[in-house]
Amino acid sequence: MKRPLGAGKKAGAADGKTIDPFRLPRDRAFWRETLAAYWYLIPAFLVLGTFVFYPFFSAFKLSLFKWSSLNPPGTFIGFENYRYIFHDKYFWRAMGHTFYYVGITVPVTLALSILVATLLNQGLRFLSFARTSFFLSYISPVVAMAMVWRWMYNVDYGLINYFLSFFHIDAIAWLNDPRYSLPAVILLSVWHYVGYQAIILLAGMQSIEQQYYDAAKVDGASGFQTWWKVTVPLLSPQIFFVFIISLIGSFKVFTEINVLLSGPGPLRSAETLVYYIIRSSGRIDHATNHIGRAAAASVVLFGIIFVFTIIQLTLTQKRVHYD
Amino acid sequence: MADPSRGQALETTRTESYYVARRRAYKAFLYILMFAGCAVMLLPFFWMLTTSFKTELEAMRMPPQWIPRTWLWENYPVALARAPFGRYFFNSFFVSILSTIGEVFTTILAAYAFAKMRFFGKNFLFALLLGTMMIPGEMLLIPNYVTLVRLNWFDHYEGLIIPWLASVFGIFLLRQFFRSLPDELWDSARIDGCRRFRYLWTIIVPLSKPAILTVALLKFLGSWNAYQWVLLMTNAQSMRTVPVGLTMFSSDIGTEYQLLMAASVVAIVPILILFFFTQKQFIQGVARTGIK
Repeated sequence: MKRPLGAGKKAGAADGKTIDPFRLPRDRAFWRETLAAYWYLIPAFLVLGTFVFYPFFSAFKLSLFKWSSLNPPGTFIGFENYRYIFHDKYFWRAMGHTFYYVGITVPVTLALSILVATLLNQGLRFLSFARTSFFLSYISPVVAMAMVWRWMYNVDYGLINYFLSFFHIDAIAWLNDPRYSLPAVILLSVWHYVGYQAIILLAGMQSIEQQYYDAAKVDGASGFQTWWKVTVPLLSPQIFFVFIISLIGSFKVFTEINVLLSGPGPLRSAETLVYYIIRSSGRIDHATNHIGRAAAASVVLFGIIFVFTIIQLTLTQKRVHYD
Repeated sequence: MADPSRGQALETTRTESYYVARRRAYKAFLYILMFAGCAVMLLPFFWMLTTSFKTELEAMRMPPQWIPRTWLWENYPVALARAPFGRYFFNSFFVSILSTIGEVFTTILAAYAFAKMRFFGKNFLFALLLGTMMIPGEMLLIPNYVTLVRLNWFDHYEGLIIPWLASVFGIFLLRQFFRSLPDELWDSARIDGCRRFRYLWTIIVPLSKPAILTVALLKFLGSWNAYQWVLLMTNAQSMRTVPVGLTMFSSDIGTEYQLLMAASVVAIVPILILFFFTQKQFIQGVARTGIK
């Protein structure tokens, strides 16, 4: 039963033919190994098939049906759901809120995390204490953190308004004023994710080889010049990676909003795209369920994320890699 | 001062000490910056902890009472008795532990096949996995909700655990690690008559402990902190996990923030314990997600 080692690979070479090393010989051993490999893959692919691949296509299908209750199969209505959401002012407002949230959260968090990573990379003492402090917010459950921030945002007894009073700023109704509900969520998100991004960037900085810094020193570069001309360019793959995952992650913001504001905010002022999707499904906010509309909005979400992913893939291949 | 050489010497000493002082000031500035950053990051935790020990009156004092005058331990039992936290904790542990074990199992198998086996359709299946990275999980919520209702898994543990038993990210991470192990291991194991399955679990898995632990930690963390899925896929109070239970609790208690903070502290503690025991592994695991 046992074959000599590497017999499969040499089978073709014996009769003098050159074999393509990238093409596997398809002998009996190969098919036996295929069969074994499929047993190894079945558990994971069964789960992924049911809860990732199938629902991906199902989302497109559901978006073409009218489902006011969960009784399948509903009625086929073509693009009616899309027509509805594209004429729904709450959909466009949700899009606006999402872009507003992403447009501020992503750059602010990224800039802060680059600064934090730089600071932690200065060879200071108490590094592990600092790293843990910055990391703690990320690993703690968002829900518990949102609870604390809700308390800190309290109009009368909250810490934030207390600190603002030093600067003679009147108490702000963070969670009840439509103008401030989204900024409140943004502040929480920046605080929650900055440590995570900083840790990734710090790991990237520490993997930059010393020779670059030595060369910069020999050339008489100042500290800032070294940072700007050596650290930042060599860190660009990590910066770009962090930028993209934070961009994609921010587009899907939901938990922070639903917990901090216990809903979509006053006058739905902080309703985002994912909030709109879940709300349309009727699962929150005492909304009626329109599975089809929710699915249509999900497809729109996919479209946006897809565009970002394509941009990421093309850019990663072109630029960013300096080394 | 008339002697030029003396003046020059004086100036050089002054410059040296000037540079030393400047470097010290710079270092001090960096330390201040670092500790200020830490303070900002830790303030909410500090505030949560101290509030949880205050009386209601103390919690609402302005200017704030930073340290409670008497530490009111009773807040904890009082808060935990107001809602079925025992059940929430059981659910959280049950769901997190089972989905972590299950995911590690399916991930090891699939990652091994992709790393070390030759099979028909390998490139296609791997590309399929890569493709899923482009699909936002939130897009799948609605169809998955429909699926769970149809399977009668809505409001059941099955619905909270089974959909999370595989992770593309985990497969990538472990595959990467498995690939770095030498093939000679398998060759010599095969000569000794070892079957592949046993080889995987007795040789490969023990060698890959750090990578597997990373996958498991990230999974447990994600599972413990999960909110959106549980909120959508359950209705019954008895099926809720700690995060969702906490939000329900918060709408019940109104303004008694000291109780809400006590419950929040309890919700964080398991994660903190896990974190402090596996800190290095934990931070490296997260950092590695960025290095790719």
